[in-house]
Amino acid sequence: MSLLQVQNVTKRFGGLTANDSISFEVPESTVFAVIGPNGAGKTTLFNAISGFFPPTEGRIAFDEQDITGAPQRKIAERGLVRTYQLVQLFKDLTVTENVLVGFHLVTKGAVGAALWRPRWMREQEARIREEARELLAFVGLSAQADMQADTLPYGQQRLLEVARALAAKPKLLLLDEPAAGLNTDETQALADTILRIRDRGITVLLIEHDMSLVMQIAQRIVVLDFGKKIAEGTPAEIKAHPDVIAAYLGSPEAADA
Amino acid sequence: MTSPSTISIDTRLGVVGALIGVALVAGVFLQGGYLVTVIGFAAIYGIFCTGLNFFMGYTGQASFGQNAFAALGGYGTAILCAGLSWQPLIALPVTMVISGLIAAAVGYPTLRLRGHYLAMATFALGLITYELSIEWIDLTHGYMGYAGIPPLGIGTYELSSDRQQLLALVAVLLLGVWIANRLRDSRFGRALRGIAGSEAAANALGIDIARYKLAAFVIAAVYASVAGSLFAHFIGFISPEVFGLSMVTASFTMLYLGGIGTIWGPIIGAVVVSILPEAIRHIAAMVPNAPSNLKDFQEILYAVLLILILIFFPKGLAALPGMIARWRETKSEKGA
Amino acid sequence: MPDAVQLIQSLVSGIGVGLIYGLVGIGFCVIYNASGIVNFAQGVFVMLGGMIAHVLLTRLGLPIYVAALLAIPLVALIGIIIEVLVVKPMWDRGATMFAIILATLAAQIMIERITILTAGDQPRTFAEFTLGGPLKIGPIAVSYQLFWILGCGALMIWLLWLFFAKTRTGRALRACSQNREAAALLGIPVGRMLMVSFALSAALGAVAGILVTPTQYTAFNVGVPFGIYGFIAAIIGGFGSASGALAGGVLLGAVQALAIVTFGAGYKNVVALSILLIVLLFFPSGVFGAKEAKH
Repeated sequence: MSLLQVQNVTKRFGGLTANDSISFEVPESTVFAVIGPNGAGKTTLFNAISGFFPPTEGRIAFDEQDITGAPQRKIAERGLVRTYQLVQLFKDLTVTENVLVGFHLVTKGAVGAALWRPRWMREQEARIREEARELLAFVGLSAQADMQADTLPYGQQRLLEVARALAAKPKLLLLDEPAAGLNTDETQALADTILRIRDRGITVLLIEHDMSLVMQIAQRIVVLDFGKKIAEGTPAEIKAHPDVIAAYLGSPEAADA
Repeated sequence: MTSPSTISIDTRLGVVGALIGVALVAGVFLQGGYLVTVIGFAAIYGIFCTGLNFFMGYTGQASFGQNAFAALGGYGTAILCAGLSWQPLIALPVTMVISGLIAAAVGYPTLRLRGHYLAMATFALGLITYELSIEWIDLTHGYMGYAGIPPLGIGTYELSSDRQQLLALVAVLLLGVWIANRLRDSRFGRALRGIAGSEAAANALGIDIARYKLAAFVIAAVYASVAGSLFAHFIGFISPEVFGLSMVTASFTMLYLGGIGTIWGPIIGAVVVSILPEAIRHIAAMVPNAPSNLKDFQEILYAVLLILILIFFPKGLAALPGMIARWRETKSEKGA
Repeated sequence: MPDAVQLIQSLVSGIGVGLIYGLVGIGFCVIYNASGIVNFAQGVFVMLGGMIAHVLLTRLGLPIYVAALLAIPLVALIGIIIEVLVVKPMWDRGATMFAIILATLAAQIMIERITILTAGDQPRTFAEFTLGGPLKIGPIAVSYQLFWILGCGALMIWLLWLFFAKTRTGRALRACSQNREAAALLGIPVGRMLMVSFALSAALGAVAGILVTPTQYTAFNVGVPFGIYGFIAAIIGGFGSASGALAGGVLLGAVQALAIVTFGAGYKNVVALSILLIVLLFFPSGVFGAKEAKH
């Protein structure tokens, strides 16, 4: 059963068609990648899927429910959490606190609970602190738990973002260019982490430029060019696909593949 | 909440700060006289600034018009206690609720604004309240001000002396800080601080940004209202000027000096800035040909101080330990 | 209820004052478009224009034209000083927008207090530029000062247009307002442009202050209200164009005048502030806005 169904999604900005009738399905517990040259419309597609803005046409179904045009917050409530291309950490909070904010969707309690601290609130706090420790260990940031988030090197900031998103217990994790700006070691750490996320049963949909990363971890790939889907398949199929090679012809990424 | 070396600095400074605070209040209490009023003002502004800090520091938004709610609290208390002879301890929660409701009603459309639009809209709120307090003479007695406000008390027992009122003010202040801290270290407070960190990420993690901003705004308004009411009880007399533009600049000076987004910043700022005129007065008294129009110099000093802090020291005094600790950390990292 | 003559009479003076608001509003736009900063000290330039002109008139006995022509560059200089001492250091240190706005507010208060210390807190005024009674059109009296406001206002708009369209600095400033990063990449000294925008804004404010003083008065505290009215004018105009700000100012002045004659002078500010809130909440890109306001 596919977790995410994108059907004929089109997004127009005035005269510019950023996404043109794109369709694909993302099966559960897979790593699914969306690739394509710069300007192909990948982030626009992510924005439409995650509810940042509604698509102009088309339908998006998540977990068997229509989420087309729903607000981002509601979509997150259903279990679809995204990260952004530019790191959006809570800079003045510590690493652990960043992750704790991530638990917002799966916890409860507002002003009243904050003041009176009933037993269930205290137990909840203890529980999420324990889970935060686990998540930080999962991504390899245990040593940095009490450091201020903006003191981390870039690669670790990315991992923190992933840990924070995982705190929301998503069914589908949308990662927008998670490897951007990472060196080889950091990219490998990221790849391992994504695979382990998949092993936990969470589906990962990512946009990436780093071809070696995509070829290593993705099970299915969709290729966009100029807003249209030009290919879909396994890494082996995509590598050999004539249209894909043509789209990337001459670009350094193709050489890595 | 930060690295181990900072925690120990924090606790050490915390103990020192607490000792200074106790010494200050005790000393003023024993000394009596004018100083009681000064520290009383510091406590009242401390409450105001704690509320302002909650909204600005933890959500990253700006409100240039919190003085509107202080005016609501002050005039509400005046009208209820002096005009209608209500009990102070009943009038206080009533004015808090009224201010909270008005803040919710006003905040709901206004907080959708961003950046300088929000700044201007909140600024306008403060000015409207100021103007209304001058023009609506039937209700507020206008420029002449509202006199005859009874001090805090229960039943027929009144806190008649300044000293007793000072203790009450400090107690309320400490309660206010404790509440703010409780709220900060909770799911609610973390969500607010997430919004301040990155609205995009907070939204993606399911936080209802509009609702939380409104909640913080209402909380700040209630704090401001309490400050205004306590001022009315403490001095017994209020006028439009009390809640005017000078309140805006004074409170921001205190907040930036003390440190936005920190727990003790508002109090530190309030105390330092309140004591400043006293210090100037003493220095001026020692200088032979000191000018007599000190109030204007005081305002100029506040303004210059605020500008200097904003330029060179925008994180304030309370952030100093954290900055020192991090500087030490990076130094030791480079060494290792 | 006021009668027709009173209404028209008040409208006439309202439009005159409204043009002044428009000039102040243009000043807001100039700085905002160049930098994204809302200069909360804008109103103080209006006050300084009238004050300095008055001081030059009375203490040095200069004729009004000389006093005016001297006062304007002096106020422009003060604008530059504010930019250099207050805004630029914060800008260079990456301060938040709110912090810069707050600093300009503090600067305004500081200047007001210094004015009290040096010139006293009494309101003062000077004579209209052309003496003689108001011009009577039927039962309506139109003061000669109104024509001066119209004329000088038009002159300022024309000079501004010349500046932005024909001079290199003006074009550079326009480039900054379109896209600051691109302008910087093209080698335009964005920091210097900021200084120019402050000087220009201050000059506009000073002109407004000098023109309006004969119709009312000037005092240390007229800055804040004029700043607010100018801001409202700019917002109604969408923060984009000079003509928008002017139209906004005239609209504000007219509504205010009608409110005064109907409800009484005391509620002048409440009306203006309520208009501000209404526009902010319901017409975020301005009533006459052509351009979408940048955030």
